[in-house]
Amino acid sequence: MSGEAKRAAQPVADATSETPSGGHHGSSRSAGPERAKRAAQPDTAAGGKIDLACEFGPLRLRNPILTASGCFAYGQQFAAFMDLRELGGLSTKGISPLPRHGNPLPRIYETAAGMLNSIGLENVGCQAFLAEKLPFLADLGVSVWVNFFGTDFDTYVECARTLGEGGKGRIDVLEMNISCPNIKKGGIEFGTVPEVAHRLTKACVEVTDIPIVVKLTPNVSDVVAMADAVKQAGAVGVSLINTITGMAIDVRTRRSRIATTYGGLSGPAIKPVALRMVHQVSRALPGFPICGMGGILSGEDALEFLIAGAHCVQAGTINFSEPAAALRITEELRALMAELGIRSVADAVATLEPHPPEPAHALAIPATETEPC
Amino acid sequence: MDDGFAIAYVSAVAPAQFQVEVLTNRPLTGGYFVLELASARANPVAEATPGQFVMLRGEWGRDLLNGRAFSVLQPIDSPTFSVLLKGFGRGTTLMQQMQPVDRMTVTGPLGRGFPAPGRGRTQLLVAGGVGLPPLHLQARIAAATGHADRVEMLYGGRSAADLVLTDQLADWGIPTVLATEDGSRGEQGRVTGPLLARLDRAAATGEAIEILSCGPTPMLRALRSIGLARKLPTYLCLEEQMACGFGVCLGCAVPVYGPKPYKYCCTDGPVFEANEVRW
Repeated sequence: MSGEAKRAAQPVADATSETPSGGHHGSSRSAGPERAKRAAQPDTAAGGKIDLACEFGPLRLRNPILTASGCFAYGQQFAAFMDLRELGGLSTKGISPLPRHGNPLPRIYETAAGMLNSIGLENVGCQAFLAEKLPFLADLGVSVWVNFFGTDFDTYVECARTLGEGGKGRIDVLEMNISCPNIKKGGIEFGTVPEVAHRLTKACVEVTDIPIVVKLTPNVSDVVAMADAVKQAGAVGVSLINTITGMAIDVRTRRSRIATTYGGLSGPAIKPVALRMVHQVSRALPGFPICGMGGILSGEDALEFLIAGAHCVQAGTINFSEPAAALRITEELRALMAELGIRSVADAVATLEPHPPEPAHALAIPATETEPC
Repeated sequence: MDDGFAIAYVSAVAPAQFQVEVLTNRPLTGGYFVLELASARANPVAEATPGQFVMLRGEWGRDLLNGRAFSVLQPIDSPTFSVLLKGFGRGTTLMQQMQPVDRMTVTGPLGRGFPAPGRGRTQLLVAGGVGLPPLHLQARIAAATGHADRVEMLYGGRSAADLVLTDQLADWGIPTVLATEDGSRGEQGRVTGPLLARLDRAAATGEAIEILSCGPTPMLRALRSIGLARKLPTYLCLEEQMACGFGVCLGCAVPVYGPKPYKYCCTDGPVFEANEVRW
């Protein structure tokens, strides 16, 4: 049984039941011992539960665990498995001005610790979303992020305007997807050329009062330049990362496992890349809100993202195999923070510690110190 | 083709995700095995209908990321059910090695199954290889509800080792025709051979027939052609790559005719009428 599965079996471990390992984390600076002391006496002021409320730019979130676009449909399917009101928030399937039917088969293929997909941004379109899907989401009282996209500059702006007008007071964030690898027409430069992303973001920000968070692609050489460009254009934050383009081949047929040849890789396989990019953006743009995602399966994964610099996170691919995963991750995060003496989400965000410096190298072996044994 | 009965032989229960333990792992011939799974309390799979399926995952870490979809072979009692599998890929090979009290996670029951037996038409249950479970359950239910004479099984595989659980069909009094490609058991050749002969007989007597089928895609394509050519109600239980099983990942699209070019194997199916599938 893997460690991850063990945690799944016991979702809400008593924070005090395991000895904090401590040592590897935070012990190199003065806060270390204080943290350890807090860990021994978890904060019991709120009935033993750490308050996970947090802020993401202008937004206040009940907790930092959201569900990711494309992995949560429009929410309804999950009501059979969980109390959706416990979520920090959710991001919908990407919405375009007109409905889209998606790509030919095969659309998905499982790879080592991940999966490829090329669904093709299938969705019900703006109008049907506002009329049929949004009322259910708005009634949940969680942070509603509506992922959207267009097929060219004008349809992006049109989509932002329509959702902004129709969703006023019911949509908390418009999450602008400039990064889906699975649309053919144009598209790619929106997510890869900073000037283009800036112009597009600015145009969308100008047509709506709803905060815009831009979801960036990892398929670029300089993610910081992209984040900076959309920040300057008025985005309140960025979502990092979308899927990494990938491929798998059936050697018997010599066909790609995905009908459109390439697909987007998601799942734990991409977590290290996602963490690195979150950290790069966080370091370059301190304080700029980042929603981190990429292979988050556990509370520990979520905390890694917070430490790297994310203000909140989204759980994506895990929802397919474990529909109530976001709630388990939330409780795991709460327990882990108690164990590590982290009192609030804000106390974790962007707190990566440097490794202590090594003693300088020298040719001669230093003389042995003559302390008595 | 619609004779007044909707295809929706849907159980009213909502799916759930729950833990089970392996009670038995019974190897059969040809790499087939039956896993009997039990939850601590009653679970909704007890209400599963033939063709409905479950997503199964073992506790094997996240290299294997998603559950795997399998038709319910038998809802045994309220906490217990069984599935019939064949060691094939990474997931099923791991499941083949599972032992009693190993734990698994189940999501289900999912999807929409076959039309119920005993509605006037004789149901020809055409199974190929791993496609046996939903039709085996259909036969079981027909026998249990006094409709054993309203269904007939036509069951094909590569060789004798690929034909499993046939004793039960005999016990239930289900007329069964077996076919193997190498002739090692039953008629030699594909199952479509005896099917066509049976359809000819029915045509001669004016007997009302419907075809319920599950098996490899090439077989289902052949059955679709046969069903359409002879204008018979034909139901195909399809299999597609599936990450979630409950209508979220949209990976298991099935090309169909109609206003939308795709339906979903997991929520609209896995049982589809042959005339709607765009093959």
